[in-house]
Amino acid sequence: MVPAQAMRRKLSRVKMNNDKDLCMRSSRFGIRGALIASALLTAGVGTAEDISYEHDILPIVGEYCFGCHNEERASADLNLERFETQQMAAESLAIWQRSGRRIEHNEMPPRNRPQPTEEEKAKLLAWIQALEPPMLDCTLIASEESVNWFPGFVMSRRLNRHEYENTLRDLLGMPIAIAHMFPADGAGGEGFDNHGNALFLSAIQLEKYLEAADHAIEYALPADSQGSAAWERLMAMPAEGEDVREAASAVIRDFAGRAWRRPVEAEELARMLDLFDRSQERGDDFGDSIKLIYKAVLVSPHFLFLAEPQPAKQGDYELGGYPLASRLSYFLWGSMPDEELFALAAAGQLANEEEIERQVRRMLLDPKAEALGEFFVSQWLGITPLGETIKPDPNRFPEFDTALAASMHREPALYFTRIVQEDRSILELLDSNYSFVDERLAEIYGIEGITGDEMRLVEFEDDARGGVLGMAAILTTTSHPLRTSPVLRGKFVLEQLLGDRVPPPPPDAGTLPEDDEHHDGLSLREALELHRQKPECAACHERMDPLGFGLENFDPIGRWRVEQAGLPIDTAGVLPTGESFSGPAELKALLLERRDAFTKNFTRKMLGYALGRSLTQYDTCVIDDALVAMEEIDWRPSALFTEIALSYPFRHRYSGGASMEEAR
Amino acid sequence: MSDKSWQIPRRTILRGMGAAIALPILDAMAPLRTAKAATTAAASSATPPVRMACIFFPNGVWEDAWVPTTEGSDYLMPYSLRPLTKFRSEFNVLSGLDQANSRQGDGHYAKTGNFLTGQPVTKTTGRDISAGGISMDQLAAQHIGHNTPLPSLEMGIDPVISGIDSNVGYTRLYGSYISWRNEHTPVAREINPRFVYERLFGGNQAAGSPEHQRRQEDFQSLIDLALEDAKGLRRRLGRDDQVKLDEYLESVRAVEKRIEFSLQPDPREWMPEVYPDLPGIDGIQMPADFREHAKLMMDLLVLAFQTDSTRIASFMFANCVSGRNFSFLPGVSGGHHDMSHHENKPEKIKQYRRITRWHAEQLAYLLERMQAVPEGNGTLLDNSMVLFGSSMSDGNRHDPNNLPIIVAGKAGGAFKTGHHFASNDIARRSRGLPVCNLYTTMLQTMGAEVDTFGDATEPFTRILAEA
Repeated sequence: MVPAQAMRRKLSRVKMNNDKDLCMRSSRFGIRGALIASALLTAGVGTAEDISYEHDILPIVGEYCFGCHNEERASADLNLERFETQQMAAESLAIWQRSGRRIEHNEMPPRNRPQPTEEEKAKLLAWIQALEPPMLDCTLIASEESVNWFPGFVMSRRLNRHEYENTLRDLLGMPIAIAHMFPADGAGGEGFDNHGNALFLSAIQLEKYLEAADHAIEYALPADSQGSAAWERLMAMPAEGEDVREAASAVIRDFAGRAWRRPVEAEELARMLDLFDRSQERGDDFGDSIKLIYKAVLVSPHFLFLAEPQPAKQGDYELGGYPLASRLSYFLWGSMPDEELFALAAAGQLANEEEIERQVRRMLLDPKAEALGEFFVSQWLGITPLGETIKPDPNRFPEFDTALAASMHREPALYFTRIVQEDRSILELLDSNYSFVDERLAEIYGIEGITGDEMRLVEFEDDARGGVLGMAAILTTTSHPLRTSPVLRGKFVLEQLLGDRVPPPPPDAGTLPEDDEHHDGLSLREALELHRQKPECAACHERMDPLGFGLENFDPIGRWRVEQAGLPIDTAGVLPTGESFSGPAELKALLLERRDAFTKNFTRKMLGYALGRSLTQYDTCVIDDALVAMEEIDWRPSALFTEIALSYPFRHRYSGGASMEEAR
Repeated sequence: MSDKSWQIPRRTILRGMGAAIALPILDAMAPLRTAKAATTAAASSATPPVRMACIFFPNGVWEDAWVPTTEGSDYLMPYSLRPLTKFRSEFNVLSGLDQANSRQGDGHYAKTGNFLTGQPVTKTTGRDISAGGISMDQLAAQHIGHNTPLPSLEMGIDPVISGIDSNVGYTRLYGSYISWRNEHTPVAREINPRFVYERLFGGNQAAGSPEHQRRQEDFQSLIDLALEDAKGLRRRLGRDDQVKLDEYLESVRAVEKRIEFSLQPDPREWMPEVYPDLPGIDGIQMPADFREHAKLMMDLLVLAFQTDSTRIASFMFANCVSGRNFSFLPGVSGGHHDMSHHENKPEKIKQYRRITRWHAEQLAYLLERMQAVPEGNGTLLDNSMVLFGSSMSDGNRHDPNNLPIIVAGKAGGAFKTGHHFASNDIARRSRGLPVCNLYTTMLQTMGAEVDTFGDATEPFTRILAEA
């Protein structure tokens, strides 16, 4: 166990050690680091270590930031005034890193406020960079005691409704669509529905587990088809002369072992055989008795929970083969381990790093890896509500229906699955020349010659459409029912793609017309520009709106357009950095220049998804390692998945010790 | 990729599945009320029970179109409430009720999860999710829920909002729940009317048949085994994980109680004079249209109360920040949340208050349905208290004071109706009293033995018929 106090000390050990560290960091962080280093030289400051918060930084922050980010106003919920010492500032590293990005991109201070000199800026940024502890201890995960301060704790949790459906599919060897019967699951951590704290259980779910178990077993093993392939696969009938109870025992051990993702213990088996006996006494035949046990297996918490029992000894421990097999399979497949993983777990082979690497590569090629496309991507991009609570206006956009919404959802899922399975650069998420469409989507995209509802690979002739920013699911989700929203689209680019944050508007901020008719003689763009003249709005909208204008060629359901309400569309935008562009192709080129932010955010999200928890400062180790590994092979994601699977937090857990039960 | 065999059936099956599911468990839990009601209908002389419904709508209201300008019973019906004119003697408008614990935190999530708890919502994207305490409806269910097959019924229209809001630092699930079993555990809502119906009345299997009895036995066995497994597993887990197992154990026990309820002598003394003709499960499908969806949920709410399947219900018209497109209303061209940020512009206010008025129309529909059910000397409405409101007043300012609150029904004669009770200076919109004062009185009237609730300072006795 590492007491919170000690961790704080570690975190506050923030000074860069020497120039070499700074240079090393500079190379990893690309242009930005190099610029800072040279700026530091011209500023007459030797190394970042020489910068003192109290003497050098506080005066700068005080002059340029405290005007708004003070105790009382705390604009954007940010109060910088409370940081009185180096120590205090260091404990809130994330806040300073976020602020640093805003300053670096000239987004802060707002344009109409006094600006820091280049020297001051460089000093500030160098100081922030030096806040990152250079020698993080990467072999630490959170303990129960330190978890409030350091929430790096993966908890035992129930399966979410999609994992539940997938697991039934793989256990029974047939698809059973059942997730829609369950209430949707909420999200936590980095925004995914596999976060233990956000997965609750109510009576309603338990009723459905009972119902679903009954349904699934009766569906897979119908009474009137004994001897069919499914029966053969799932239930070996007792042979002539074989002891019925022994036969039952073997059948149950096998099924429950797979369902519970670990070998069944003798005591557990005995309890199930008791029930088997009672069913037999009642006069049920062998098949019915076994089916009853199978249902019990499926409503057991051993099936419903990804439980990771802890050893008696307090402290970090390496996960055993079976829990690790489940972590791997629910991460990459959103489902249970297969026979090969079970065999490796049984043989103790999953402690072997080379074996883990081999498994990751194998698993990514399996069709089940499409779960990453389906569940990771939809939640990362925030398109889950499309077709449910987000729908275009039905009169204005009669084309939009359930089927089109489904096709829209399929596109990014298949696109991402291809990137993963062919190990293509993740930068293709930003830009490429291809995608997947069926007839309905092809109509939206203006592609001819596609018929039927099969999604297929198409190549685009121009460079406007490729990448997630040209996908209808994203373009529709970021629109209002009656018009596009350059604001929401810009926010999407900043938050979902670049991992930046945009504070919510102050409660009484103005909004724009609901439709795209011209109001008071103003186009939507002109109305937005007027809005941006208000100083309290400017700082954020100058970041978001230009990005969104770049996508104005796409209408509220993603169709290409060159004019709107009778006037040609102006897709030019200028960012606070001074970079200018026009249209989606140039916007995407610009985003590719910010690949560092994109790849870092993507990596962060993937790690958050893999671990099912909020990330902490300690996870930076994994993120940095994964980024280096991916960059070396041209941003191919196999390196990311491997780095995550091999990382310390993925393979370890913390035990509070044996005192749990006694303490109660 | 389309040649992967498991992908295709998945979609085809999805379409054909709904009707095929047999729903045995719900059959097993369905009470034998229908049969009993038929035999004992005439004999019922007991007093009808009091029911409580808590109905939430998002995004606040335009106060000038909601709060009557005078107190008492002669107030002029404000614009947004006009659909309720016909029922003005059946409900109260309560103004000047505040939610002080919503004054901090973000504009929506921190002001929705605690609508019925009256406590502060914890700012978190995961760890320590908390709405501050048990919600008022769930507390009532704890006290009187054992009297009915379902202790309470939670319903909504929208699925739980996905994701977290990293800008404000809240998990969005706070915006999807008003019912909390305890501070850390929201109660799952049902949004599909078909599943609500099944929970209430089971599927198609005849109750009392040998098959039915056998299934009940089976499920009891499954549950026994599950409980043993859970207890065994619990011992081996860490503290946080044990909390999750406890949720499982509690849920299993809740199901167990339902089964027990259906097997034991019915504790309900009162029987409805007229048992409704149930539409049958095949008559109920998930409507594509939001308006029909909302109506159907309210029909089910009435059926649940009318058959005394439960006495406590909560219902959310939408999640918080709902941007639902209301352009089906004349003169409205956009989403609810965006209209609530009206910037004091007349053309937006007009639409905002019209959307609120649509919600009042739905309440009017509900009251009409409840009034049409005769019970004892009065109606179902007379025996109910229907809380209808939002967790903020002016949506433009995310204002958690002067909440828009209506309480309809006489709660079995305990409440007077037809009044506007102001708890602040109406004109100045000064700070008023905690909304939890009202909740306390509602709880006490429901038979929950509580002295106080949330941040209540005293019971809201003005609403009582005999204060």
